[in-house]
Order: sequence, then structure tokens, then C-alpha cells
Amino acid sequence: MLLTFLPSTSFSPLLANVHSYASEFLKESSNLAFLTNSLLVAGVVVGLILWFATKATKNMTLIPHKAQNFFELIVEFLYGQVESIVGAKIAPRVFPLLATIFIYILVSNWFGLLPGVGTIGWGEGTGFMSVKEVHDPLLRAPTADLNMTFGLSVSMFLVWLYITIKEVGVWGFIVHTFGAKGGLKGLMGAMVALVFLFVGVIEVFSIIFRPVTLSFRLFGNVLAGENVLHTMSGMGGFIGSVLAPFPFYFMELLVGLLQAIVFTLLSAVYIQLSTSHDDHGHEDAHH
Amino acid sequence: MDQIKGIAYQIAGDFGLAWGKFFAQVIIFILVYTILKKYAFGPIMGMLEQRRQRIADGEAKLEKIGRDAAEAKQNSQAILDKAEADAARLVKEADDAAKLIQERRQQDAVASANTIIAKAREAAQLEQEQLMSQLKREFGRMVSDATSRVTGKVLNTEDQSRINQETSAQVSA
Repeated sequence: MLLTFLPSTSFSPLLANVHSYASEFLKESSNLAFLTNSLLVAGVVVGLILWFATKATKNMTLIPHKAQNFFELIVEFLYGQVESIVGAKIAPRVFPLLATIFIYILVSNWFGLLPGVGTIGWGEGTGFMSVKEVHDPLLRAPTADLNMTFGLSVSMFLVWLYITIKEVGVWGFIVHTFGAKGGLKGLMGAMVALVFLFVGVIEVFSIIFRPVTLSFRLFGNVLAGENVLHTMSGMGGFIGSVLAPFPFYFMELLVGLLQAIVFTLLSAVYIQLSTSHDDHGHEDAHH
Repeated sequence: MDQIKGIAYQIAGDFGLAWGKFFAQVIIFILVYTILKKYAFGPIMGMLEQRRQRIADGEAKLEKIGRDAAEAKQNSQAILDKAEADAARLVKEADDAAKLIQERRQQDAVASANTIIAKAREAAQLEQEQLMSQLKREFGRMVSDATSRVTGKVLNTEDQSRINQETSAQVSA
């Protein structure tokens, strides 16, 4: 049955020919195959973030300068959001990671919208400095590379696992996942316990697939956006190629922000779900 | 299991998943996370905390200033009330004292006036008596003189005394 659907997993763009994977710079060298166009942009994005962070945190004063004020605004907003989800106790521990994820994804997403990203590169030449179609772009949004989104989600998963075990312990996690809630006794309690055991098994699968869902959601949205922009850019000659993608740039700006928020908030929610103590259960146990 | 493995390999192939690329991206992320955590979020959070503390201190000071102001207002009001009461008491006392002095002065003045009037009456009485006595003497002398001139007789002391007595009695009447 699974094999029946296997061909459908092969990705083939409908309109624009945007590759579903990042291009390697040194295809012949297997040792340096990790040097891709998305890794290059990831490096540039990291450089940009660090440059701005250094500028914002340099000569900090109680009355902030412009860059410091802007960075403080972002940090304060993000901290408030994270704290409201995971709680005041865990927020200081997970905030740096979640804030880094948010900023990194947001800048990566928006960097992919810059002119030249995905459109300058190598392909079948048609003249001086011109190609018929770019096969191997020089630059690619890092979030349009599954290696990056999967790397982020796996990192997040490992941090989630560490915080969860540290906060509730292994046994606490097992009880939290498989344990029956409601405090019913007797036959009814046994039936409810069976149901919760089954729900726990589903929950374990859902947890295991979280890195996959997180990474594919982000990757798919960014790649789809890139496809839309490339397709629109190829419509109606020069004027059409300027005007047609114009509205979609605004949409992609929004999608870029939205996906950064979704990834960060979902990660925060996962942490909150597994680290929240079951107070009713404790109360029941005390009674 | 083989089917799942096959699907996984196919997805990895389609989307260019590879360990090298994966770890390169993870390393970049860990790098940015470490640097941001140490050199950006830490100082910024410290600064925000410092500012929050300063605002809290300011609010506490403001609250204290408000309390002090209310207390000072209350104290000043109490002082004003006390001063007002003291002033009212002093005015009343001064008023009473003035009235008392006025009454005393009035009584003194009345007494003085009565004394002056009595003295004046006494003086007038005395003067009247002196004048009357002088008049009687003069009149008596004139009568004696006239009598001696009319009668041509030198009057002796007895006659003069008798004439004087009679004249005085008539003058007194």
C-alpha cells in the first residue's frame, strides 16, 4: 500500500523549475558536498544577525540607542510570548533557543525574497552573463533546504527531550503520556486506563513525527513561495515579470513571518505540554 | 520496515537530505545560538532587568514621595488647625482683656469724675462761704461807716459788733 503512494512523494514543480534541494558547489568532491548554496546563505544570514546583534549590544545604555531599542523590542516581545506559553519557570531556560530559532528563520525567509536569490547562478548559457534557465543558483534561502529545517527541528526535539526529562523525569514523562486522567476507579477506571494507554501510543508517534512535521511545514511553505515568485516572474515579458510577482512578495513577507512564528510557537507549546505538571493528578494522589 | 526505509531514502534523495549538509546546518545553527545567547540575549535581558528594576525603584520612590506628601499635608493641616484654634483663643482672650480694661477704665473715669465734681463742689462751697463772710464784713463795715457818718457818733466796738451782727443776719436772710 505504501509503495503505491511512493511515486507521489517525488517532488516535481508544476510551473517554475525550482529545485527541491540545495545545489552543491563542489559536485565532484564528496568530502565538500555539504557546501551548498543554502549553506552559503545560511552563513550570510548568521553574519547579518551577528552583525546586528553586535551593533545593538555595543555601548548599551539605560536610554537605548536605535539598534539597541529595536533589538530590545524584539527580545522583550519574544520573551513575553514564550513566557506566556511555557511559564515563568522554564522561560529563562528555553528563551534563548526559541528566540534564536525565530530570528534565524525570519531572516532566512526574508533573505530568500531578495532579488538575485535563486535567480543568479549557473545554467545553459545563451550569451554574455545570461542563461536560459538557472539550474544551480548561487544563493538559496536556507529555509528552502530541508537539511536546514530538519536540522532545526531535530535540535529543537533534542532540547525538548532534555528539558522534559529534567523537569518531570523519565517516569513522570511516561506517566504524563500514558497515565489515566480523571481519577476513576474500578471497571470504569480500567477501561479509561486502556483508552489512555492507546492515546499514549498515538502521542508517542505524534512526538516522534514532530521534527518531520515542523521541518516539512517550514520547508514546504518557503519552497512553495519561491515557486510562486519564480512562476510569476516568468509571466508576460519584462513588465509582467516585474508586476506579476509584486503582490506575491507582500504575501511571502507575511508567510515568512508567519512560518517563523508557527515554528517557534509550536516548539514552545510542545515544551509546555510535556513540562506542565498535572496538578489535579497530584491533588488526587494527596487525597 | 523495508518499505518505510525505502520511502525515507526516496524522500532524502528528492529533497537532498544528506548527513554532511544536515550537520553543517546544525553546526551553523548551534554557532548562532551560542553567540546570540552569550553576547546578545544575555546583555539585553540584563539591561531590560536593570531598567525594570530602575522603574520599580522609581515607582517605589514615587509612592514614598506620595505618602510623604500626604503626611506633610496632614501635618501642615494639623498645624494650621492648631494655629487657627490658638489664634481664635488669643483673639478671644484679647477681646475679653480689652473689655475688662475698658470697664475698669470706665469705672476709674467715673470715679475720677465724681471725685473732681465733689472737689469742685467743695471748693465752690468754700469760696461761696468765704465770699459771703467777706461780703458780710464789708457790708457791716459800710453800715457802721454810714451809721457813724449819719449819726456823727464815733461807734465803739460793741456798737460795731452789734451792727455787724444785725447786718449779717439781714444779708443772710
